[in-house]
Amino acid sequence: MSWILYITAGLYALGLLHSLFGFYQKRQVFVRVALGMVASGFLVHTWFLLMLGLQRRHIPITNLSESLCFFAWCITLTFLVASLRYRISALGAFVLPLVSLLTIISQLMWDENHAIPPLLKSKWLYLHTSVAFLAYASFFLTCLSGIFYLIQERELKTKHFRFLYFRLPSLQVCDELLRRSLFVGFVAMSITIVTGAFWAQQAWGRFWSWDPKETASLITWAIYLLLVNYRLSSSWRGRRAAYISIIGFASTLFTFGVNWGLHTYL
Amino acid sequence: MAKFVLVGLSHRTAEVEVRERVAFQATRVPDMLRQLAALPAIRESMIISTCNRVELISYAENVQEAIDSLESFLSESSQIARQELRQKLYHHSGEQVVRHLFRVASSLDSMILGEPQILGQVKSFYNLAVDAQSVGSYLNSLLQAAFRAAKRVRSETGIGEYSVSVSSAAVELARKILGDLRNKRILIVGAGKMGEVAVRHLSASGATTIRVTNRSFEAAQELASKFRGTAVPFEELTQAIMRSDIVITSTGSKEVLVNRAMAHSIMSGRKNAPIIFIDISVPRNVDPGVAGIDNVFCYDIDDLGAVVEANLQERHREAALAEKIVEQEVDSFCARVKSLDIGPVISQLQGRIEEICRLELDRYVRRVGPLDPRGARELESMVSRIAGKIAHPLVTQLRSVNQDPVHHEAYLSVIKRIFKLHKETEEKENEA
Repeated sequence: MSWILYITAGLYALGLLHSLFGFYQKRQVFVRVALGMVASGFLVHTWFLLMLGLQRRHIPITNLSESLCFFAWCITLTFLVASLRYRISALGAFVLPLVSLLTIISQLMWDENHAIPPLLKSKWLYLHTSVAFLAYASFFLTCLSGIFYLIQERELKTKHFRFLYFRLPSLQVCDELLRRSLFVGFVAMSITIVTGAFWAQQAWGRFWSWDPKETASLITWAIYLLLVNYRLSSSWRGRRAAYISIIGFASTLFTFGVNWGLHTYL
Repeated sequence: MAKFVLVGLSHRTAEVEVRERVAFQATRVPDMLRQLAALPAIRESMIISTCNRVELISYAENVQEAIDSLESFLSESSQIARQELRQKLYHHSGEQVVRHLFRVASSLDSMILGEPQILGQVKSFYNLAVDAQSVGSYLNSLLQAAFRAAKRVRSETGIGEYSVSVSSAAVELARKILGDLRNKRILIVGAGKMGEVAVRHLSASGATTIRVTNRSFEAAQELASKFRGTAVPFEELTQAIMRSDIVITSTGSKEVLVNRAMAHSIMSGRKNAPIIFIDISVPRNVDPGVAGIDNVFCYDIDDLGAVVEANLQERHREAALAEKIVEQEVDSFCARVKSLDIGPVISQLQGRIEEICRLELDRYVRRVGPLDPRGARELESMVSRIAGKIAHPLVTQLRSVNQDPVHHEAYLSVIKRIFKLHKETEEKENEA
C-alpha cells in the first residue's frame, strides 16, 4: 500500500518544479499550478494516512517512517494554509524540497510488517504526538519566514536590489507569517508538553522525570516563550525576532532528534 | 511579388527636433492616408505617429518603388529635404516589417522599455486607417497578429511590472517594507514640488492619512489642502514623525532635521514599528546613519535611482523572453502569409494539369507506335492547349479571389485539395 506514497511524492515533486520555475521566472501562474498539485498531493496523502490508520488500528506515528510521513503531511498542511492566506511565491520553492524529500525517505524505509511498540499503546498518543508534529511544522514556517525577513531586510538596508529583493515577500508579510506561525506553534508545543506530562504520569508514574527529550522540549518551549513574550510587547520585531526564530528552530530540530532515555522507541 | 514595406524614424535614429517636424497630428492623419492611398506604388497603408516615432506601413507590389514614394511623401509632408531626411529614416520590407511592428507593439522598441502606452497608440492609429479604408486584408491580418503578439508579451512576461520612475520607485520600496499601503500614514516635511509628486503616487496606492509640515505654516496648509491632509506646525516635527509610517523630506534646509539620537527616541516612542524616510532633498535632511537602527529605513534620491536602475535591468531580462515570443509570432504569421501566397499554387496547378495530359499523350504514343514528326508536333501542341485551357479559368478565379480576404483561404485550400497540391508543397518545403 505504501506505493501510494510515490503518487504523493510525485505530485509534491511536480509542485516543487513548478514552484522553482515560478520563483525563478517570477511567474505567478506557475506558482498557482504548483499549489494545485501540492493540494492534490495532500489529498492523496491524507487518504493514505487515513487508510493506514484504519488498517493498523492506530495513528500512524509510531516508527520513523510513519513519523516522517506524518511530519511531511503536517508541513504541507501549514504550507497550504499559509499559501491560502498570503501570496508568497517564494514559499513553495523552499518548503516543497523538504516535503518531497521526507515523503520519499519515508517510502524508502517503509516497513509493511510494523507492530506498534507496547509503550505507545495509549490514547495519549493521538493528542501528544500529532500536536507535537504540528508544532514542529509551524516552527519550520516561523524559521523560514525569519530567514526570508533577514535576507529581504539586508537587501533593503544595504540598498542592493538584487535577485532575492525581487522574489521574496515584503518585510511586513514575513513578519506577519512569522507571528502567526509562531503563535500556532507555541500553543501546539504547550499542549504537547502538558499532555506529555499526563501520559508520563500514567506510563511511568511521574509527571516529569527530566528525560532528555523532556528537557529539550522544555528548553525549546522556553525559547519560544521568550519570543512570544517580546513579540506581544512589540518591542522585538523584525530582525531580532527573526534571529530568535532561527535559534528556536535549531532547538526544535534537536528536540525532534533526541530519542533516547524514556523516549526510546524508534 | 507584393510585400510589406515600412519607412519611418524613431528615437533611435532621429532627435526630437526632427521627430516633431515629421510627426502627424491625429486630425491630419485621415487626409494623409487618402494621399497615401492615391500613390500608385501603394496598395494598402497606415500611419503610426507618436512622440517617439513616425512610421508608414504599406503593402505594395514593388518594394523599391514603394520605399521611394513613401520617402518622398514624408519629405513633402515634413518640409525637410529628402537627402537630409533620408539619414534619419530606416526602411524594412517583408518579414522585417512584421518583426519590427511586433516589437513596436510589444514595447520592445520603446524609449522606456516595456512602457504600456504604445500598444494603445498603435491601435488607435490602426482604427484611423480602418475608418479611412486605407487598409485591406494584408495590413488587417498583420495588425491583428501584432496585437496578439503584444498581448502575449504582456501576459507571459513581466516586462511592464517594475516601476521605472523615481517616485513610483519610492512607492515600490514602501511596499517591500510595509506591505499593503492602505491606511498607512504619510508625513511630508517641506512643501517642495518633488515631495508633492511622491505623495501623489503614495496616495494613489491607498495611503490615507497625510500630514504636511513646513517652516511656513501657510505653505503647509496650502499643500495639505491638495491631498485633503492636515497641516502640522513645524515645532511638532518629532511628534509628527512618531505618528507616521512614511516620512518624505524635501526642504531647502541646509541642516539635518532628523539625526540618530532623534530617530532612536522616535523608535522607542512608536514601539519599533517600521518607518521609512524618503529624503529627496539635497543637501539631505535625514542623517543616513539612522538606517543603522532596527526597523528604520532611509533612502535618498540616489537610492531611488538605484531602484529604478535595478528595475530597468529586470525589464531587460524580461525583454529577452519577450523577444522569443515575438520571434514565434513572426514565424507563425509569416508561415500563414506564405500559405496564402497564390504564386506557387498557380504554377503547381498548371504543372499538375500539364503532367496529366502528357501522361495520356505518352500512353497514346506507346499504343499506336511511332508517329510521323508532323503528327507528333501537332498532337503535342494540342495537348498543351488543352492543359492551358483547363488551367486558365481556375487561375483567373484564384487571382480574382485573392483580393477577397474572406474566401481567399477557403478557395485556396479547395483547389489544393482537389489537385492534391498539399503534399507537393510540403515536400518542396522539406527539401528547402
